[in-house]
Amino acid sequence: MGVAAIAAGPEAARGSRDADRLGTDARRRRYADVRELIASPRNPTPLVRLNRVAAGVDAYLKLEWMNPFGSIKDRTARYLLEGMRQRGELDGRELVEASSGNTGIALAALAALDGIPLTVTIPSGVPQEKLVLLRMLGATVMATPDDLCPVDNPRDGAIALARAVADSPAHRGRYAMPNQYANPDNVRAHYETTGPEIWEQTEGRVRTFVAGYGTCGTITGVGRFLKERDRGIRVVAVEPQPGHRLPGLKNLQEAKAPGILDRSVIDDVVRVDDGPAYAMALRLFREEGLIVGPSTGAIAHAIAGLESGAAGVVVGISPDSGLKYASFYASLVEQEGALP
Amino acid sequence: MIDFTWDAELDCKGLLCPLPVYRTSQAIARLGAGQVLRVECTDPGSLADFPAFARQRGLALLAAQDQGDRQVFYLRKEAA
Repeated sequence: MGVAAIAAGPEAARGSRDADRLGTDARRRRYADVRELIASPRNPTPLVRLNRVAAGVDAYLKLEWMNPFGSIKDRTARYLLEGMRQRGELDGRELVEASSGNTGIALAALAALDGIPLTVTIPSGVPQEKLVLLRMLGATVMATPDDLCPVDNPRDGAIALARAVADSPAHRGRYAMPNQYANPDNVRAHYETTGPEIWEQTEGRVRTFVAGYGTCGTITGVGRFLKERDRGIRVVAVEPQPGHRLPGLKNLQEAKAPGILDRSVIDDVVRVDDGPAYAMALRLFREEGLIVGPSTGAIAHAIAGLESGAAGVVVGISPDSGLKYASFYASLVEQEGALP
Repeated sequence: MIDFTWDAELDCKGLLCPLPVYRTSQAIARLGAGQVLRVECTDPGSLADFPAFARQRGLALLAAQDQGDRQVFYLRKEAA
């Protein structure tokens, strides 16, 4: 039985009519459809202050893992699909997308709700949890090493593979590819939602914004929105080192710079090593009670290094939670003693 | 033209790179050491991809044949 059939079953059995249903009442936090939970200025993800790990800096993390499918990519996936639907690109087609996991998971949930088959190409180094979640949501998963295509795409194997699935003559237009790395709807998602939320939630007092290099939709969309409000707001990009183990982030020397990246909105780039990023993730768990993924550790490490006086109110993105990285974190806790 | 015997074959006609090397890496995983896979492609990019792929994965590329409208590769899985 498919996902749609399961969802429709009990409803049909009760024979309920639209008029009998409670419907959405956001004030009561009651929703008729899970998609209404995807963050927007009317329903923003929380900002939470860092009280211990960034001494002297008035810093807040925006907890994007409070989105219904678990990451900031819920916003992106919604905008990508809406744009494709409006342009007629979805008609009768399956979806294929390259993802380090989170976009794939959000797309898989949304595609399942619409009955659209989805194939996700994913770097083989991502945690097992993400692969299982994708399969649970009904996606077809093609895991590939980053260096699958040593000649043309030395570090972007998953992206090249998704492009090949979409464009191969043998598939005769069967697939449509959202292509989050080049699709302006990725930027628009953050320009229209994440950016305005941060401006409103800080009452216009945000002075520094920190996000990672990944697809670059967040840093470009939020950066552009904030710069239009106040040119003096400092936008800081966090970049991992080559060969890093920080899913979702990209080093733009080893990976191609995404087409949607607008460097004109970025003031500084901070390079973060894996070690300090994971160490900061551990501190966020233990000192702030924040169960975050490794990329949040990198972003918070960059925040902790800002000059306290000059930074003003700082907002950093926490793209996803730590729940999907238990297998990565196992080695951290095993250093303190073997797991039982 | 040299003819080889092979143990399995893979049709990658109409598939753009790197799909043929992806499919090939899956097919190779199902072979035993010493067995040969014949792969037929139509993307000229495969002529550059397969030698690099074979080097990277420790496979013996016995032959790469450019037949104009198609490219044929013979790969042998080596003992681990």
